[in-house]
Amino acid sequence: MLDVQGLRKEYGELVAVRDIHFQLHPGDVFGFIGPNGAGKTTTIKMLATLLEPTAGTATLNGIDIVRYPEEVRPLLGYMPDFFGLYEGITVTEYLEFFAAAYRIPKAQRAAIIENVLELTDLTVKKDAYVETLSRGMQQRLCLAKSLVHDPILLLLDEPASGLDPRARIEIKELIRELGAMGKIVLVSSHILPELADFCNKIGIIEKGELLVWGAVDEIIEQLQANRVLEIRPLGEPEPLIQRLEQEAHVHGIETRNGSLYVHFAGGLEEQADLLTALIRDGFRIAAFREESLDLEDVFMQITKGEVS
Amino acid sequence: MKTLWENPLLQYHLLGATRHRWKRQPWLYWAATLGTGLAYLLALQTAVNYRPGIDIALWFSLFIMCLAAPLMAYNLLSSEYEKQTWESLVLTRLTAREIFWGKWGVALTRVAVLTLLLAPFLLFSDIRGWYTTTAAFIVLFGWGALLASLGVWLSFKLKRTLTTASVLYAGQVFVLLLFPMLYFILGERSLPRELISAVQSYGDAYYTWIICLFNGAFIIYINPFYVALEMEHFRWLSDWWWTEHNGNAYQQGLRYMLWGFTQGGIYLGLALLFAGFTYRGIKISWRK
Repeated sequence: MLDVQGLRKEYGELVAVRDIHFQLHPGDVFGFIGPNGAGKTTTIKMLATLLEPTAGTATLNGIDIVRYPEEVRPLLGYMPDFFGLYEGITVTEYLEFFAAAYRIPKAQRAAIIENVLELTDLTVKKDAYVETLSRGMQQRLCLAKSLVHDPILLLLDEPASGLDPRARIEIKELIRELGAMGKIVLVSSHILPELADFCNKIGIIEKGELLVWGAVDEIIEQLQANRVLEIRPLGEPEPLIQRLEQEAHVHGIETRNGSLYVHFAGGLEEQADLLTALIRDGFRIAAFREESLDLEDVFMQITKGEVS
Repeated sequence: MKTLWENPLLQYHLLGATRHRWKRQPWLYWAATLGTGLAYLLALQTAVNYRPGIDIALWFSLFIMCLAAPLMAYNLLSSEYEKQTWESLVLTRLTAREIFWGKWGVALTRVAVLTLLLAPFLLFSDIRGWYTTTAAFIVLFGWGALLASLGVWLSFKLKRTLTTASVLYAGQVFVLLLFPMLYFILGERSLPRELISAVQSYGDAYYTWIICLFNGAFIIYINPFYVALEMEHFRWLSDWWWTEHNGNAYQQGLRYMLWGFTQGGIYLGLALLFAGFTYRGIKISWRK
């Protein structure tokens, strides 16, 4: 389990990360969302033991990352947003280098390397030189390198940046698979629909502050206190607008493409009551549905576009 | 790691990164090897035929060392920053000591190999006796080790390969050429030999080494090319010279000052100091 407790990073006057708290469990895929300069990379680097926090700490399976970085490092795999690879060697030799550096016994190395190559779909490239691989393949090799020692926590900083659509889909599938394997995966990204596909938890950070975190569905549920209902009447919309304006839960109405978008401050019960009342009053309704929020809507509702 | 050889960094730098180059650009590498090999053999043949003095042989070897040693260390740690591989390296289970040995060990091994390659030039000179031979090798290897150690440390501190190389080469120009010139321009007009002539015991030698730190002669005495120049004075003395009191006052002064050994020891001591700085740097800033 990863337990982040009041993690804070200051650079002089600048507070890059402000007392962040969250907890993740095995199998969680956590999408870490925020604009550029929000403090995502700083947080990830602190969790990776590469930066010392100004205050607070985090524990991974009960081990304090600040006090015992050397004990935590073998338990985590880290893929930075800008990464390099040792050149002049083949993919297999590259992974052998890291297997040796993680003190994996020589007898086990070949089997482990074969497994991670298979997992990252790089088996066909095992004899290729590292620098001849495409960007997407290098990204997967970097991930493969982070997996040779079977870490329990994976920190992936913008893993899909600079990739073509196919490589993005492949990385996405891979992350989903890693979550299914029971690893804790923390992924930062700007591309929200991408994260929505495979994250079961998200955290939104802005100006160094974690504004919200939790299960994706729960966050959306919380934010949908003020729902938007799309109602498509048959015939003229004006009588319906007048009728809706009398309703206590209705806060505003917009008209677009023949549909009414109603800002509604009620739950499912009140929605059902409204529909029943409208039909009883003789209005002919062709469509009545709640507009569901996606991750982009959540992000836009929560953030203000500020950087620290 | 049970042995140094099991260190993956050492293996990567000594073998991993180089062995494939032969396969990938065979013509280029064969041509380079052939050219260098021929030049080496030609130089060796000249040394065998003409038997140069120890000063010339050591100058030649030092010149090669001054050019080559920085190249053996200048990018060992800076490339980790420039290619952004250092974070991955830090997170492995390699300890600070292993990372340090993986880098410093590579630089030192390369310098040792170069010293061995240059050994025939010293051995085929008209060198006499074990004292001069040993002193010459210590000076050559010590200077190389100092450059390599300084290179590894600068490479860690400056984090830029080109800057490290520039500082190493420019530093040598200052220490070996410009500072001695300044000594001649601002102070003495001749080599500081009278201090050496006055040395008549090991005690004298000890104080002379201390005094020269303050009167500027140190910059001349510590210059490996000057060390080689004065070693020419050993030319006509046998090993008996080491135990018997023969030779003139100047030669006796050099003997008491442990000429060559002291300077080699200083180079090696400084090399260890910079190695210590590098180890400490890795341990602290990489939180190892």
